[in-house]
Amino acid sequence: MTLQTTPSDLDLLRLMSAGDEHAFTTLYRRRQGGVYRFALQMSGSHAVAEDVTQEVFMFLIREAERYDPSRGSMAAYLYGIARNLVLRRFERDRLLVPFAETDADNTTVHPAMIAGDDPLGDLTRNEMIGIVRSSILALPAHYREVVVLCELHEMSYAEAANVVGCAVGTVRSRLHRARALLVEKLRAGRDRDSDPEHVNPARCFA
Amino acid sequence: MSCKDLDAVMSDLARDQMMDARLRETALAHAASCTSCAARLADSRALTAGLRAAASDALAEAPARVEAALVAAFRAHQLESRVPPVGSISAWPRRWLYLAAGVAATALIVITISLTVSRDQAVTTPIQQDARQSTPANPEPPSATPGIEKNVVSSDTPRRKRRLAVSKRAERSKPGSDYSDASSGAEIATDFFPLVNRESLRELDSGHLVRVELPRSALMSFGLPINIERANERIKADVVVGQDGLARAIRFVR
Repeated sequence: MTLQTTPSDLDLLRLMSAGDEHAFTTLYRRRQGGVYRFALQMSGSHAVAEDVTQEVFMFLIREAERYDPSRGSMAAYLYGIARNLVLRRFERDRLLVPFAETDADNTTVHPAMIAGDDPLGDLTRNEMIGIVRSSILALPAHYREVVVLCELHEMSYAEAANVVGCAVGTVRSRLHRARALLVEKLRAGRDRDSDPEHVNPARCFA
Repeated sequence: MSCKDLDAVMSDLARDQMMDARLRETALAHAASCTSCAARLADSRALTAGLRAAASDALAEAPARVEAALVAAFRAHQLESRVPPVGSISAWPRRWLYLAAGVAATALIVITISLTVSRDQAVTTPIQQDARQSTPANPEPPSATPGIEKNVVSSDTPRRKRRLAVSKRAERSKPGSDYSDASSGAEIATDFFPLVNRESLRELDSGHLVRVELPRSALMSFGLPINIERANERIKADVVVGQDGLARAIRFVR
């Protein structure tokens, strides 16, 4: 009987630094999903998420020795790089792309488009998820990032604080405030949908 | 518990976070008795459900082309340089290299300054000695040849010449030292080089100094270094000519 152990992120990083390509691809495949989703949920753009993911791991290739294990996990380190890149992208572009973007060459069918056993339930669920996502994207960046990290990536306050680079109490208060804003948005959307007479006037000339 | 107190723990309550059991019971009891707080708690729980649904639904991953591009970049980086392993001793030499480069640069500056200072001192030494010799307090006896400069015909001329010649030679032996490359307006002269034997020089009673121009290559005849690229240029020299019309000694002037 042989005991197989999974190499840690740090082990993989060391091997990668020594030129082990397999270690790099292993580390990439282990961590790329979280980084990509974080960038996607922060920006709402697949293109931005793709660029950010590539830049994060390019930085890791070039500056592998800058990772200090005593300061946090590899995941937090990568999220932190991704966060900085996303925020820099916001500064540069000043543009938020809607989450449901359409790619001209995208021929694959999104899973949400495939009907399940309960089409009505799936539709409701997908609709709710879409509303939640769009509400998150409408939050200010400093609220958005704690919601993405703590709620969507299920990080603890301490882990999120490590990524964001602030105190745990700051994360806690930002999350509290962000949730209050999200509740208001969801409530407003629900009230609007429930009112059949609801009209959204652009301007009143009365 | 007040509504405000419940609001402080609302997020943790709705997210089912770990919290004090007694605080949790108190908060839930307040929500059960307060319609407004109950509604807010329900909204917050609905939000939690929506966020968890969004989290579980998000399975997006980077396209395969990103991995392909990164692997290509990794290979290219490995070709460029071998990155030292993280945390190993071999990660340090780069920092030491920077430190060593800094020390070497500092040492080079210090050496350059010290060489410049010592060169200046070597050039000024014969002049200072000449000036000291011409002062009234000089204990040396008066010149045996009144018509000629004192430094040429003083009683200990041969010994002093040797001393000055040594200092000149030391100066000349330094790389890049070419005493003819003067840029200042004041004249600087070498010591006199005898053109005849010592006995003939002692017999010289009087004479006069003649300023002449010679090709720079004449310096070589007296063992002085020259810049071969400037060998065709002319330099000034003072020649001690005795009453018999014979040249007895020469010094070079710049």
